Amino acid sequence: MSDIQTSTHAQTGLLPKVGAFLRDYYIYFVLVAVVLLLSTANLDKFDLFERGNFLNKNNIINILRVSAPILVIAGAFTMLMISGYIDLSVGSAMSLSAVVYALLAINGVPFLLAFVLTVVVGIGLGAINGFLVVRLKITPVIATLITLSLYKGVALLLVEDGVSAIKSGGGLKMPGWFNGYGRSGIFLGLPAAFWVAIAVTIAFVVIQRRGVLGKHAAATGGNPTAAKLSGINTGRVVFLLYILVGVTAALAGIARSSFMSLGDPLSGDGMELTAILVVLLGGTAFSGGEGRVLRSFVGALIIMALTVGMLTLVPAYYQTLVIGAALLAAAASNHVITRKGRAE
Amino acid sequence: MQETPILDSDGAAPVLRVDSLTRDYPGVRAVDTVSFDIAPGTVHCLVGENGAGKSTLVKMLTGALEPTSGTMQVLGRDYAPANPQEARDGGLATLFQELHVVEELTVQENLTLGMEQSRFGFLVSSDLDRRVVETLKAIEPSIDPKARVSALSVAQKQIVEIARAASSGASIIIMDEPTAALSEREVERLFGVIRRLKASGVTVIYISHKLDEIFQLGDMVTVLRDGKHIATQPLSEVDGRSELIEMMIGRTVFQTYEPRTAVTDEVMLSAEGLSNRLLKDVSFAIRKGEIVGFYGLIGAGKTEIARAIFGADRVSGEIRFKGAPVAASPKKALAAGIALVPEERRTQGLFTSLSIRENIPVMNLRNMSEAGLYRSGLERDAADDYVRRLNIATSSIDKHTEKLSGGNQQKVVFAKCLFSEADLLLLDEPTRGVDVGAKTEIYDIIRDLADAGKAVAVFSSELEEVLGICDRVFLLFDGAVQEEITNGPDVDIAHILNVVTGGQGAVQ
Repeated sequence: MSDIQTSTHAQTGLLPKVGAFLRDYYIYFVLVAVVLLLSTANLDKFDLFERGNFLNKNNIINILRVSAPILVIAGAFTMLMISGYIDLSVGSAMSLSAVVYALLAINGVPFLLAFVLTVVVGIGLGAINGFLVVRLKITPVIATLITLSLYKGVALLLVEDGVSAIKSGGGLKMPGWFNGYGRSGIFLGLPAAFWVAIAVTIAFVVIQRRGVLGKHAAATGGNPTAAKLSGINTGRVVFLLYILVGVTAALAGIARSSFMSLGDPLSGDGMELTAILVVLLGGTAFSGGEGRVLRSFVGALIIMALTVGMLTLVPAYYQTLVIGAALLAAAASNHVITRKGRAE
Repeated sequence: MQETPILDSDGAAPVLRVDSLTRDYPGVRAVDTVSFDIAPGTVHCLVGENGAGKSTLVKMLTGALEPTSGTMQVLGRDYAPANPQEARDGGLATLFQELHVVEELTVQENLTLGMEQSRFGFLVSSDLDRRVVETLKAIEPSIDPKARVSALSVAQKQIVEIARAASSGASIIIMDEPTAALSEREVERLFGVIRRLKASGVTVIYISHKLDEIFQLGDMVTVLRDGKHIATQPLSEVDGRSELIEMMIGRTVFQTYEPRTAVTDEVMLSAEGLSNRLLKDVSFAIRKGEIVGFYGLIGAGKTEIARAIFGADRVSGEIRFKGAPVAASPKKALAAGIALVPEERRTQGLFTSLSIRENIPVMNLRNMSEAGLYRSGLERDAADDYVRRLNIATSSIDKHTEKLSGGNQQKVVFAKCLFSEADLLLLDEPTRGVDVGAKTEIYDIIRDLADAGKAVAVFSSELEEVLGICDRVFLLFDGAVQEEITNGPDVDIAHILNVVTGGQGAVQ
């Protein structure tokens, strides 16, 4: 009858402590390792990047600029996965938002209004996902696979026949302010889109640690029955999280569209994989219940550094393969580390 | 429906009134016009054998199940919860047997879950946090409120749940077998907490098979038998365990057991000193042609013994089947000729999305194929054969098994095991959720199988069942075999119940 004793003693051993430490902080070591690795690389002039040491100031600014979309999505996506759900349509929602934003801008809608309207579209797209999953009780993977196709279809329809994206031409011209949001440095040489991503991430870190929504998301993912018995409306929690993912997908679409100066209906393709990768890399359990927004943010930085690093160092067709390998490594280490960190 | 609560003899209005409550299942009336009152600030025990209707009654109280007829009142107000949440809003919290804690959150977060105080969606520290921590400290000071629940032992998790119910402001707390996972020291502590709850005016409805606990803790006891209300009286007026047991079993007429002639002396399976986390030095033998029962309450070790024989769990000790040791793996046990009919038939025994025809051969697909090719003709023949032999009521062998009644589903599981050509059948709760008619048929099948030279072990928490069909019965308590009895007309039922509830005669 010493069940209690044995289990608490197991906690005081050295090994579980090391495991817990690894679980909490390994992501930061990975980031440092990636940065060190990249800093050893030298390159010839390549597109946006400068000759010489890979990690000079301008290259870092470039990496962070192109990272804005995934950085802004990571927080909400982490919360959704903590609650045990998933959104595969996030890339299509981003594409559709990018197209909508570009369409509004090119038709003379002022910046702020275009921005707000696009975010409203994001709320709508998230609400559709929430409705399918919570009200119609369609399995999340299936429901968001359906909307992945639907949203992308709408984005493609919004672009005229014969052109690949919404851009200047045919009598219409992108306004001058259009690429300022995603490109022009406003502080430390970084654009507004990046700082919005930082602000959103901080908001989600606070919501997760101090917000009711954060606790309820963890309870929903950790033990849905207990959550319901505690009086938590788990359906509402999930619905709200889908809407938040929709909003961040819209913000990502705006950032990407502004950075590229066009509304590309394929610009969000593959974002769902990147988002899942980033969240898993950050140590969030695929089954839900636990995870940290901040670690996903760091995971996003790692992936973007690797992706951009690869773009400059190895042929582009290696990229998808390496992302797949990283996903495998993340899933495996996630499994091993969470097992080790946990007492029996 | 009472407009004004009727006062009981002490003048205190009942905190809970149950009036003519009835619940029907297809073919069974699980709770039959039960009426009783519970006085505030008491520990009210609910006892009865398995199948007496306790859990159905509790499910109605907690809103998990709707009564077929009858009413409930809490503090004089009509009470008809549609779900557990409404029950809690009505002032009734429940400690379920399964744990309902969120492993990933801290103890304190679990205690305040769903009741968080917030401003603009952000948590603010409040009285509630202080109160839950104090409640927890009073119950189990060794649990750190900041610790993650996943790092706690099962017993500690349960204490967290108790603290949660205690601090939720409920006027009634139902505890369903709360001590099942607790050590003696923890049980003492729990009892202390329950007494303190009582002193603060909370009513506890306490359900336990352990009669000693009931005498130690309870003020009042309500006895149910066969879905009917037998008595509600102060425990001080109950003359010890034997009278309580008598009320529980009444003069139930057990299905008469007739000595069977097919029992041989040839030992089919022998087990020596089986021990693991739950089992304590369990030894027994099962002979060819014999039906052996393992009888005990929930948690006594029945399922664990079945799983150990089948190789699903690791145990120390030795198991020999037909004289040879058995390797600890279900696949090898099956190959040697041991089949298990698991307790959870829908989740562990059947492929509910497949038809009867497809279910029967799955444990022995080799017999269904020729030269590596599957012969559906053989499958159909086998299915037709078993549907006829076991009298499975179905319009077609192509019917999906999820559409069958509980009894017929169980027969399909039996057919599956028989088709595997096993010589030893392990039946874990073989008639749970099966209606009376199908029960009799299943008992006949079990007897026929044993008569045909197979050995059968029945693991059951229904005394009527083991005394109805088994030649010998092992009485289990606390993971150990307490006594072996040979079935016959003169078995002492009161003695058996005494032993399996941990009374005298039980090896402690």
